[in-house]
Amino acid sequence: MSMVESKEPPVKHQIVVEALSHTYRPARGREVLALEEVSLAIAPREFVALLGPSGCGKSTLLYLIGGFLPVERGAIRIEGAPVAGPGPDRGIVFQHFALFPWRTVRANVRYGLEKLALAREEQERRAQAFIELVGLKGFEESYPSQLSGGMKQRAALARTLAVDPKMLLMDEPFGALDAQTRSLMQAELYAIWQRTPKTVLFVTHDVQEAVRLAQRVVVMSARPGKIKATVDIALDRADPHIYRSPAFAEKVDEIWNLVRDEAIKAQ
Amino acid sequence: MARLILRVAPWLSVLAVALAWELFARSGAVTPFMLPKLTTVLARIWADAGSGDLAHNLGLTLYRALAGFAVAALAGIGLGFAVAYNRAARWLFDPLISVGFPMPKIAFLPIITLWLGFHDVSKISMVVFDAIFPVVTATLAATLAVERELLWSARNLGASERELLHEVVFPAALPQIMTGLQVALPIALIVCIVAEMKLGGVGLGGAMITASRFADSPGVFAGIVEIAIAGYVLVRLMARVRARLLAWHPETAAPASV
Amino acid sequence: MKYLPLLLLALAWEAVVQLGLVSRDLLPSLTDVARAGWKLLREGELWQNGAASLYRGGAGLAAAIVVGAALGIAMAWWRAVDAFMGPLVEALYPMPKSALIPVTVLWLGFGDGSKILLIFLGCMLPVTLGAYNGTRSCEQALVWSARSLGAGRLRVLWDVVLPAALPEIANGVRTALALTFVLLVSSELIVARAGLGYLIGFLGEGGVYDAMFAVVLVVAFLGFFADRLYQRLVGRLLAWRA
Repeated sequence: MSMVESKEPPVKHQIVVEALSHTYRPARGREVLALEEVSLAIAPREFVALLGPSGCGKSTLLYLIGGFLPVERGAIRIEGAPVAGPGPDRGIVFQHFALFPWRTVRANVRYGLEKLALAREEQERRAQAFIELVGLKGFEESYPSQLSGGMKQRAALARTLAVDPKMLLMDEPFGALDAQTRSLMQAELYAIWQRTPKTVLFVTHDVQEAVRLAQRVVVMSARPGKIKATVDIALDRADPHIYRSPAFAEKVDEIWNLVRDEAIKAQ
Repeated sequence: MARLILRVAPWLSVLAVALAWELFARSGAVTPFMLPKLTTVLARIWADAGSGDLAHNLGLTLYRALAGFAVAALAGIGLGFAVAYNRAARWLFDPLISVGFPMPKIAFLPIITLWLGFHDVSKISMVVFDAIFPVVTATLAATLAVERELLWSARNLGASERELLHEVVFPAALPQIMTGLQVALPIALIVCIVAEMKLGGVGLGGAMITASRFADSPGVFAGIVEIAIAGYVLVRLMARVRARLLAWHPETAAPASV
Repeated sequence: MKYLPLLLLALAWEAVVQLGLVSRDLLPSLTDVARAGWKLLREGELWQNGAASLYRGGAGLAAAIVVGAALGIAMAWWRAVDAFMGPLVEALYPMPKSALIPVTVLWLGFGDGSKILLIFLGCMLPVTLGAYNGTRSCEQALVWSARSLGAGRLRVLWDVVLPAALPEIANGVRTALALTFVLLVSSELIVARAGLGYLIGFLGEGGVYDAMFAVVLVVAFLGFFADRLYQRLVGRLLAWRA
């Protein structure tokens, strides 16, 4: 007879942020403290939203995790090791797409695959697969300047997904799109996340978007950014009417109340 | 049919002016010396073409201008990149470029002549000195303005620093660099002509100034027409090259204003 | 200090000559040049020739601005004008304006007239282009607001479109200013009997290199300061642009 209760194995966090602070030092003007003593832990396969008013440092936090900005005070560990610069394990998606305008859609999606030194046919095969995944079949030879906002974001998403990153860092990816496209893209992103084992860190200032997509919403304060609260979202997203249910509205209200004071402070 | 008219229409104005020229010259309101008939001028160009003079003069002028332009382009782009990436170089060159840009650098021609003599080297050097400024300025500005998110995306996907430079920075900066080159080309022509006029000898500039000294008015006008056509063709070619290289650029789709 | 590298360059110049690294015949020392320049100033040659140059440049540029701007605005405002003039402007833009030097000499000789005509003809186009683009780019909303407030077409042109077009016109004039200096110096170097460009050539042919260097520098810096002064003026005038 076993005397030991079976316990769940301890969760090993994939992204660990410890007492992180960050100061912006512009060439002209005063220094700005963007983040103050931020601590956060994200488990594998989690979908976490970073929510907060403009200027609260949520994008800065994302860039630090992505390795684009140097860590000066505090620590960030990715799967146990300190962050050492950007890499294909943490795929980034920007609000303004950042597609290479001189490359076609296909060539853009292929970029990361070229860096992985795969065989040319393999590159083409994978690129094509992801182009079709995001629904851009037929537009492979188009240039970004010929695409609509929604299509550009799909292309950017395909480019990032093509290198199969374990983590997705998304910086208000749907912020530049119109309302209908945004809604469609949210649903598609969720569907993709369901199918593939990725961790998603999603920055937004839109409360509804955060509640729609994330399992956990981290609310940040106005500058200097601190973590104000964390709210778990336990909605049954398989239910097609969930987004019109009272449970959804209550969650949105709860979080909006947390954010409102900060939004006013940020004005 | 409408498309044909649209394509021909711009030339109608030019034709109208040509006609006006001929009629005005024939009217007797001005002497043939002040304004030779267009037909006389065209006949002169034809004669020069036949005798080989046109090819000789035009060829030399184009050679000097284009050689100078090529050197200015390569050196200018290289210098622009170097200055963008190197703080010390930027500190040294920024004032030189900003002070030198609005200077009438043609004033330095006598100094260049003193140092390098009266031959092609001086003419080409003068062209380089003048034409390099817009290229460096454009390259520098373009390189510094490459969107951060483009660079970050590339690094995120695994690009090394060296790969960043020629895979991202250069194509991103290319539109503005091309504009700089398009500014530099007419400058190269203007300066080359002036240098030729001052230093004499063979070349369109030299031929024109000699013609003016001999009161050879058809010769002077012939030179103007020849260089105008050459300049127009070169600028058009440049625009074609730009459209090819920058087929992906949104503005290539939009029609250019005057 | 932003211009420190220039100072260092000047010191390097002096050092290179004093140390004998470069022959004094090819590169007079900075002090020699300064002395020769001072002499020219005292003896009046710099003033006389400077005045002649400034007169020619000013007159030509003023005419170019007035006519060029009027043409550009007319082209942007009346389609018929644009249809006729547009192709001509486009065809003439790439022509090197310096090619007009011999013909202006043919017509008006070696004096002021040929230079003024040259600068007028050569500097018109950049102003025209600036005026054209500026007038065209005036926001439709501004024009409609004025019309709805009762302004007639010509009134709108004067009250709304022109002020909106000023920044681009100012840009075109800046280019024309630089081109004025280039055409002035070029023509004076080749076909003149007075003026700063002529003085440079004269001193060069006479072998008086330190004075020649002095005038070259004076001319070069004149162009630089004219541009800076112009930008200051425009900044003041267009202060509403923030």
